[in-house]
Parts: sequence; structure tokens; C-alpha cells
Amino acid sequence: MIQFRGISKSFGDTLVVPDLNLTIARGEFCVLIGPSGSGKSTILKMINRLVEHTTGEIDFAGEPIRSFPPEVLRRRIGYAIQSVGLFPHWTVEANIATVPRLLGWDSARIEARITDLLRLLNLDAARFRAAYPHQLSGGQQQRVGVARALAADPDVLLMDEPFGALDPITRDSLQAEMTRIHAETGKTIVFVTHDMDEALRLASRVVILDKGRIVQTASPRDILNAPANEFVRAFLGKDDYGLKLLSVETVGNRMRAEISAMAEDSVLPDDNLRLALSRMVVLKSDRIGVRDATGEPVGTLFLSDVVS
Amino acid sequence: MKMAATRPRPLEWHRFLAALAVFVALLGVLPYSGPLFASLFPDLDRPLYQQQSFASLVVAHLWLVVAAALTATTFGIGAGVFVTRPQGREFRRLVETLSAMGQTFPPVAVLALSVPVIGFGFWPAFIALALYGVLPISENTIAGLESVDPAAKEAAEGLGMTNRQRLLQIELPLAAPIILAGVRTSVTINIGTAAIASTVGAISLGSPIIIGLNGNNIAYVIQGAVLVSGLAIVVDMGFGVLSQRIGKWKSGQV
Repeated sequence: MIQFRGISKSFGDTLVVPDLNLTIARGEFCVLIGPSGSGKSTILKMINRLVEHTTGEIDFAGEPIRSFPPEVLRRRIGYAIQSVGLFPHWTVEANIATVPRLLGWDSARIEARITDLLRLLNLDAARFRAAYPHQLSGGQQQRVGVARALAADPDVLLMDEPFGALDPITRDSLQAEMTRIHAETGKTIVFVTHDMDEALRLASRVVILDKGRIVQTASPRDILNAPANEFVRAFLGKDDYGLKLLSVETVGNRMRAEISAMAEDSVLPDDNLRLALSRMVVLKSDRIGVRDATGEPVGTLFLSDVVS
Repeated sequence: MKMAATRPRPLEWHRFLAALAVFVALLGVLPYSGPLFASLFPDLDRPLYQQQSFASLVVAHLWLVVAAALTATTFGIGAGVFVTRPQGREFRRLVETLSAMGQTFPPVAVLALSVPVIGFGFWPAFIALALYGVLPISENTIAGLESVDPAAKEAAEGLGMTNRQRLLQIELPLAAPIILAGVRTSVTINIGTAAIASTVGAISLGSPIIIGLNGNNIAYVIQGAVLVSGLAIVVDMGFGVLSQRIGKWKSGQV
């Protein structure tokens, strides 16, 4: 879907990206992560030409991005940023309708699309449709920001630290939302963050960057199990490395089918082991019941199986 | 949400209408106020200004101010927009310096300077007013465009708006309240300056004032001054209504 071939980028005399080769496949949830100055945002913005690359070629849907006028390219690529950037003088629905209007959709189609998107982002249409951005909380604003980015059903969604400014609880629910939206829509998502937990949670593939170079690119699980070097290991953290390992494993893979006495709390087979461990600590128990989505007991998870 | 903010709007509107009604009534009554001024100033031969009707003076005055304001607004916004675009950035210093210099010039001086160049009548007054009126507008246009949230600009660009769409749909509407404040200042100053313009031979509400001052006729001066200040108040209130309309989204009204 997106292909960087021999891309470099300099600002004046400073070379920020020396030689980047990266292919992002259709439907991938690709998370670019790295410390400040690693070039992750620059790389993201080269895709929609907010930053022009210096040498090399970037292909979008099989064609060089410079074969499109920038506006045409950008209307096919959703864009959401940390500071959201809703237009304060427009209502929520007008904000969401931005790109469809630019593309000249008829009003009935725009109306229907707004309704769908408000539902997709869990925003109550009656309450929010005609509201102005300043009447919304930070989390609600970012939901509208994501809805706006998705409005014209773009092939690719670019997100530049979209949840960086949100409180942990709001961030958590929006991360869950993104996982669901990715699964429902199958969109190709390129996501920039500096938060490793966020990367491990969302990504189908993590690209770790340092000084504009790719240090390692692999699935979250492979990165955790086989960090390429010291840099990656340091980035994964020492103290909670074990917990990160647990966060990419699901309960379903480690539970036993036997159904023992159920405590009040339980976990789902799709929950991660980190969550299950946390619940066990709270329950002061070395085991926890597993129930499926309908509430039927399906098995038991033992502490010894979590740590083995 | 902020319900309190929804109240003043009709109030502002009603105030404006009331002031306008008072002003029109004043204009209607003034031609019949000869006996009043005669009793106030018994020494004067002609206590009521009658060279032109007061209504025609108001029209002439407004015409001068509106023509100058339209010109000043066009050039002021144009200059403000130009120097905040990448291709005009180099001229920004120049425009700001000119603005600052211009502000230190009293309007009377501009009038006095334009007479030798253009002569007497409407045109020197129009040019002085237009020139002087540009400054607050260009300055506020720059300030208004600068005040637009950079995130909104980045989003507009990232979503695929062209430069023109960004300017017309995002930047100018968001800067509008500040730009309008500049126009308001400009127009208010020029209503006063247009009165002085009578010294260079333009017909305006300043005509009775200037003639009154020359001929020691206090009654003329009062008649002209009351109408000029009344006009300034009504127009300023009109701008109050307008600025509330334009910033409606801030109070969350739908």
C-alpha cells in the first residue's frame, strides 16, 4: 500500500532520515516508534506530503506520491494529530464532513456517513452532532478527530501521536476503539507514538526507529521475544519487561479447560495475561476463572501457567 | 453549556435599534429647532444651520466614511493576508513599520498634506480617510490570522484543503472577530476625521462645525457635533451587533 524506496530527508544541512526502505502492506496496523528526534513524525508526514522527501521514491497504491497533486493525495489519506485541530467555528458534523465536502459528495450521502461515523466512534449523535468543539472533552474531541480522518473512507489512515495528550483512562478506551475500528474496517493504519505499551497493544507490526534508521521491524511478540540489540532492549524497559511479555499473550493460549470454583472476577479468553495477572493479585489467588463473552465458564488460568 | 452568553445578543440588537431610532428622531426634529437655539443664543442672527439639510449632511458624511472604509478594508485585509502568506513574508516588516509610523500621524496632518497634492473637495478627504483607515485593519488582519490555532491549520492542510480553501474556510473566518474589531476602530476614527474633512472643502457633518467656528456661531457647532457623535455611537453599536453575530460559535449557539 505504501512503499518507501531509498528515502532520505534533510532539513537544510541536517540529515534526519538517511536511507529508508519500508513497505507497509494493505490492512497493516503499522506503529512507528522511537525517541524524540528519531524521525518518526517526519516519516509519517512524508506519506501525505506535509513534508517533502529529499531523495528516493514513495509509492502510494502503486503510484509515486508525486504523481498526485498534494490535495488529491491527502483527500485519499486520513490524518489525525495529537493536537486534534478541529475547526472551532464548525460544528462536529461540519468538521466530520470536511473531506466529503471537498470531494463534492451530495448532502444525503454526507449525512448518512456522519451518522455511521458517530456510531463507529461511540458518539451520541443527538448530543454531539450540532455541538461545537469547545463544548467537548479532550477524549471526545479526538474521537471526532478520528471520525473526520475516516470520513471519506480513505485507503490509509495516518495518526501522529493521536492519544499522547489524553489522560490514561481516556487513552485506554480510545486504544480499544482503534483496535476495534481496525478490525471492523480493515484500514491500513500508520501510527506514530513514543509509548512502547501503546505500540505493543495496537500494532500488527512495530517499526523501531533511531536517528532516522530502522533498528528493528517485527510483530510485537517477535520484538519482545527477540529484541535486535541493546537499543531495543533498553527501549522495552528493564523493570516491566516481563509484564510487556505478558501483555502480548492471550489467556486463551495458557488456560486449562477444567472449570474450578469460580471467583467473582474472571477474564475473557482474548484478554492478555498481564490483565489476568493483575486480577489474580487483586483476588489474592493463584488462579482465575475464564468466561466467554456470554458469561459461560470455559476454563481456568493458573499462576504457574502464566509464568512458565 | 454557557447559557449566560446567549442572553446579551437580543439585548445588543435592541439597544442598537433604540439608538438608531433616537438618532433618526433627532434628525427629524433638528430642522424645527430654530426657536430653541434662538432662545439659547439670542445674539445670533441665524441660529439654525440651513446651507444644506441635516439629512443630506448625514448622507454625505456616511458616503465619505463608507467609501473610505470599503477601500481601507479591501487594502487592509489584502495587505494582512499577503504578508502572512509564504510569498509575502518578506514584506511583513515593511507593512508593520508603515502601520506604526502611520499611527503616529494625526489625521489632520494627512488631510493637510493631501490638499497641495489633490486640491480641495471630496477626494483629498476620501484619500486621507482611506489611508488612515487602512492601518488598524491591516494590523488586526495580521494579528487575527496569527491567532488561528496552528493545529487547525495543520489539520486543514493534512485533510487536503488547497491554500485558498484554507484561507477562506478556516483562517479568515477564525480571524474575523479580530479583523472586524480593526474595521470598527477604523470606521469610528474616520467618522470623527470626516468631520474635520470639511476644512478641506468636503461636505460632511463637519461643515456646520467648521462654519460655526469661523463665524463664531456656537449653535452651528452644537448642531454638527451632536449629529457626528450620535452617528458615531449608532455605527459603533451596529458593529457591536455584528461582532456578536460573527463570534456566535464561541458561545455555542447553534
